[in-house]
Amino acid sequence: MSGDTFFFYAFSALALLGGLGTVLLRNAVHCALALMTSLLGVAGLYLLQGAEFLFAVQIVLYIGGIMVLFLFVIMLVNLDQASKLQQFGRQTPIALVVALAAVAAIFSMLSKSAVLLPASVSLTPLTGGNTETVANVLFTDYLLPFELVSILLLVAVVGSVMMAGKRTE
Amino acid sequence: MHSLWLIPIFPLVGFLINGMLGRRFSKTVINTVAVGSVVLSFLWVLKALSALAPLNETYVEHYFTWISSGTLDIGFDFAIDRLTMVMLLVVTGIGSLIHVYATGYMAHEGGYYRFFAYLNLFMFFMLTLVLAANYVLLFVGWEGVGLCSYLLIGFYFLKKSASDAGKKAFIVNRIGDFGFSLAMFLIVISFGTLDFQKVFAKASTISPEVQYGSITTICLLLLVGAIGKSAQIPLYVWLPDAMEGPTPVSALIHAATMVTAGVYMIARSATLFERAPIAMDVVAYIGLATAVMAATIGLVQNDIKKVYAYSTVSQLGYMFLGCGVGAFSAGIWHVVTHAFFKALLFLGAGSVIHACAGEQDMQKMGGLMKKIPITFAVLFIAAMAIAGVPPLSGHYSKDAILMAAHARAPWMYWVGVVTAGMTAFYVFRSIFLTFFGEYRGKAHPHESPAVMWVPLAVLAVLSLIGGYAFNIPEFLSPVLPMHGGVHDESLATIATAAGLAGILLAAICYLFVPSIPGALASAFAPIYQTLYDKYYVDELYNVSIVKPIANGSREILWKGADVGVFDALVNGAGTTSMALGGLLRKMQSGNLRTYASWVLIGILLVMGGFAVYGGAK
Amino acid sequence: MPANFMPSAAEYFRFAPEIILTIVGTLVMILEAMTGDRDKSSLGYVSLLGLAAAMAAAVAANNDPGLAFQSMIIVDGFATFFRVLVLGVGMLTILVSTNYLSEAKANSGDFYALILFSVVGQSLMACANELIMIFIGIEISSIASYILAGYLRDDRRNNESALKYFLMGSFATAFLLYGVAWIYGLTGSTNLGEIRTVLSHGTAPTAMVGISAALMLVGLAFKVSAAPFQVWAPDVYQGSSAPISAFMSAGPKAAAFAVMVRVFYTSFDSISNQWEPVFWIMSLATMVIGNFAALQQRNIKRMLAYSSIAHAGYVMVAVTSHSAVGTAAVMFYLASYCLMNIGAFAVVTWMARDGEKFVEVDDFSGLAQKQPFVTAILTVLILSLVGVPLTGGFFGKFLVFKAAIDSHLMWLAILGLLNSAVAAYYYLRVLVVMYFREPGASTVNLPPVAGTLRVAMLVTTLGTIALGIFPGLILGFATQSSTLGK
Repeated sequence: MSGDTFFFYAFSALALLGGLGTVLLRNAVHCALALMTSLLGVAGLYLLQGAEFLFAVQIVLYIGGIMVLFLFVIMLVNLDQASKLQQFGRQTPIALVVALAAVAAIFSMLSKSAVLLPASVSLTPLTGGNTETVANVLFTDYLLPFELVSILLLVAVVGSVMMAGKRTE
Repeated sequence: MHSLWLIPIFPLVGFLINGMLGRRFSKTVINTVAVGSVVLSFLWVLKALSALAPLNETYVEHYFTWISSGTLDIGFDFAIDRLTMVMLLVVTGIGSLIHVYATGYMAHEGGYYRFFAYLNLFMFFMLTLVLAANYVLLFVGWEGVGLCSYLLIGFYFLKKSASDAGKKAFIVNRIGDFGFSLAMFLIVISFGTLDFQKVFAKASTISPEVQYGSITTICLLLLVGAIGKSAQIPLYVWLPDAMEGPTPVSALIHAATMVTAGVYMIARSATLFERAPIAMDVVAYIGLATAVMAATIGLVQNDIKKVYAYSTVSQLGYMFLGCGVGAFSAGIWHVVTHAFFKALLFLGAGSVIHACAGEQDMQKMGGLMKKIPITFAVLFIAAMAIAGVPPLSGHYSKDAILMAAHARAPWMYWVGVVTAGMTAFYVFRSIFLTFFGEYRGKAHPHESPAVMWVPLAVLAVLSLIGGYAFNIPEFLSPVLPMHGGVHDESLATIATAAGLAGILLAAICYLFVPSIPGALASAFAPIYQTLYDKYYVDELYNVSIVKPIANGSREILWKGADVGVFDALVNGAGTTSMALGGLLRKMQSGNLRTYASWVLIGILLVMGGFAVYGGAK
Repeated sequence: MPANFMPSAAEYFRFAPEIILTIVGTLVMILEAMTGDRDKSSLGYVSLLGLAAAMAAAVAANNDPGLAFQSMIIVDGFATFFRVLVLGVGMLTILVSTNYLSEAKANSGDFYALILFSVVGQSLMACANELIMIFIGIEISSIASYILAGYLRDDRRNNESALKYFLMGSFATAFLLYGVAWIYGLTGSTNLGEIRTVLSHGTAPTAMVGISAALMLVGLAFKVSAAPFQVWAPDVYQGSSAPISAFMSAGPKAAAFAVMVRVFYTSFDSISNQWEPVFWIMSLATMVIGNFAALQQRNIKRMLAYSSIAHAGYVMVAVTSHSAVGTAAVMFYLASYCLMNIGAFAVVTWMARDGEKFVEVDDFSGLAQKQPFVTAILTVLILSLVGVPLTGGFFGKFLVFKAAIDSHLMWLAILGLLNSAVAAYYYLRVLVVMYFREPGASTVNLPPVAGTLRVAMLVTTLGTIALGIFPGLILGFATQSSTLGK
């Protein structure tokens, strides 16, 4: 097993376990930390792909910024109430079975394929730095989606402002 | 151009004027608009026909291309041939008379303008149905008359039975429409067009082996539509209930015109049916069975309108029989004569009911002959006509059908003859119960006003001479060639004798020895009760179809799909109550999780589907 | 890698409707801040003008069809049709809402801005030629809809509806995105045309392409409320304000169908043997669940929600037929569906009044005697929903089933027709109640029909009739556009 492969599985496991922890743990702070772990795993995968810029953004923005904000919110909100609630509905077994079945379905279909993935696409070697390449793609080929995402964010902002606005009651 | 479009447009304008402004109009204005518009279209029919005479060819007016999709072109076209002409005259002629009558009959009813607006709208759709040059346009009229029928049946909406009857009619008709729509689709597939002339032209050229299978299917599906509209077994159940509507409606829609649309449609599609012998047989069998069954029910009913309602079902069965044995023109002939005498019977019954202050039970009538002599006279003529007494109108058309039936299979003729006897019996039973003997009710019967009995008189004349004067089969021979059925004097005599025997029997039972009916009823109580309860068909439908659908949709699909199997697991019972109090509980009870589980299962199913249909590769 | 990308004027022109809408949306929000406590109805008119301008731009763009922005956008007849449709839905929604919002004392520019942005998203979905664009379009449309569903924050029904819609919607969109990721991994592209080319070579493993198609179908089926992903619709439509239910049941649905047709007819054309049977079953299940569950509903919004599920089923039938005729049927059906559904919800909006106290079917008792105008409107719309001839609904169904039969889906057509016979029953109940019952408490003090609402009712009703009498009006265009630019 080459180093790359080892790290791929390691980071993947980190991401998956973090995800599971987010769902399964009872304490909200623990959940947030588990989510961070998961995001970290994903960041590691970016790094393996040679996407240093994305790796940095993931760490700085998600883990550094957003998750810390999450933690603040969690600490400000009274969580005693939440921890007393039943964590899972009674449909958990069914959901579990269905989810496992879905996984099984995906795997069974995978196993039927002669080739798992098409022959690996040879990556064009990057000219210039990683950041520059990302920027180039983002502002030429994907300019339109990039701009449109700003509308998406605008809508989300309007929505959160409205939701947080003063109630008339 | 002869501006055929004006024919249906007049009543439409009448509908719009009365419907939108009628509330503010006086009755005189409403009458003028409603009756005037129908009379105008009657006059326009006459004008168009005189200009088009002798009408040996089909005359088509194309207005615009209605829908064009791929190779399929459907035009907004009207067409007139001799068949259409007969129907047009019946619809506008009888329609005018009934409109006049209704101004008298409805004079003291609420919702006066609404009634006439609906009635005019009905005329519009009925004329569209008759004039249509393709199946889609015919279907438009078909649905439209169904809608108006529904609105008019439920006219006395304060009576629950009336609005229920309206619903029943609409829903039962939807079953028929379903067959009709399928037939249209099959016609498109088989012939690539829905235009009458083109379809029939193609149908008459194709080779028998290739297409006869699909033509049979088409005809059977068309038949399903016709069964719904013309109240044949097994979809006849709505028509007797439809008598909840005002009497002019029963006369116009549920006796003279709309219910014969099914017969018209089959006659119109004669070219197709002639190439589908199996479908023809089915038409004949259904017609015969309906004729017998409805006649037996009619024998024992006490509500005067119910008797005539079952009589209508039975006579429609005759028309189907005529079409089914290949005598389409005889069927149409019976449509015409039936329109005369059955409209007369209903309007006369209306006049009787009017005179008895709304009473419909014949057991509370009697002895009305002297009190309402005109009504008695016209009803008597109508009864003679339907009983097939020569030389009244019913005699000719019924004979033509029975002759054709004999040519097809003698047993059909004999069943038809027996039914004719029963017909004569129950009609005269109603006459004797109503007009003879002593008056058994409490009201003070009085003769109807002239606006009511003048139309009756006109119809009476038509019932008298309508069969002799209008030889419809001969007139229709360019469109619908008459097959078989050579006139046989002895057979005709037997049929006439059966009618006379029925009258005689009725006279014995209800005039001379009034104890017989009661004795028979108690001697054969089970049979009597079964007939009186109409073979329990309504109850049967209720138990076998209506209830299961209602319960199934509530128990399985609503509660199942909506409240969910999972919800039940979570809460022990469904809680979709939107009461605010239940809201939090609902959200915490894991409803969302339930939904999410559903989505998850759905994903599994979808992926499974893809796997099954493609994963093997 | 020089940054030599410079969009041409023609490309901006093809993208003009979305640009106009975004600008007007932002403008409305600024005006909202500037107008303070004054009446905000005028902002509604500004939004209407914006939508009208965008519609003009969309029509004009169709004169010069083609791709734009690195093939991310495609302007063809199909895209134009759906752009105009969703823009029209936006206009009608505003007409239906203005008075309602004023009465609820919740009239604000935010509302109109959100409608505009949501329409931007739907318009993008209509003309997107690229999976990422599709995703962004769906998200813009959806997030705006989530907020609109909970717009009246003091109404708990609104809150519940918004939360459910948001959680369920996000859940389903995740699957869509998962599918996009798969397909990108398999084909190395997110462009619909390129995916089609790669898949038609047949080198990509079919099973895995199947999974990606299945995952994307899940996301789209959720948006059109096709079974088994319809569970959210009744709750959300019932809980939201009536004008918003009108909007949600029309615009996002039509746009999602546009995406569904374009993605499956273009990219997944070569694996149609896999998805056609699934669509077959889904369309049948959708029709059955919608129609039969509607039979038992007493709440008219919930009934209309189930009926809209059923209508989605009919459209699915047309999609299943996988043909040019089917595409035209999808387009025609959705156009007539949007008209009649918004019209029906417009009547419900009027009837429900402030606080939505009157949303039971029985609240329409005796309406015929009290308010003939609205009764006539609702009668036409209901008849169209039933599919009675001379209405748009009839031709919609006619085309759908014709398409199915042309594609030899005989049984689906038959079962669909049976379904539409069942549907007559619950629609009919509304007519019965209106015509054949005595006026009750709800019909005693009826509010006047506000001018804007009246316009919306008239436009939808006349449109429905026009489509029924002259289906050629849009059928011709739909047929021409039914071969998608691939």
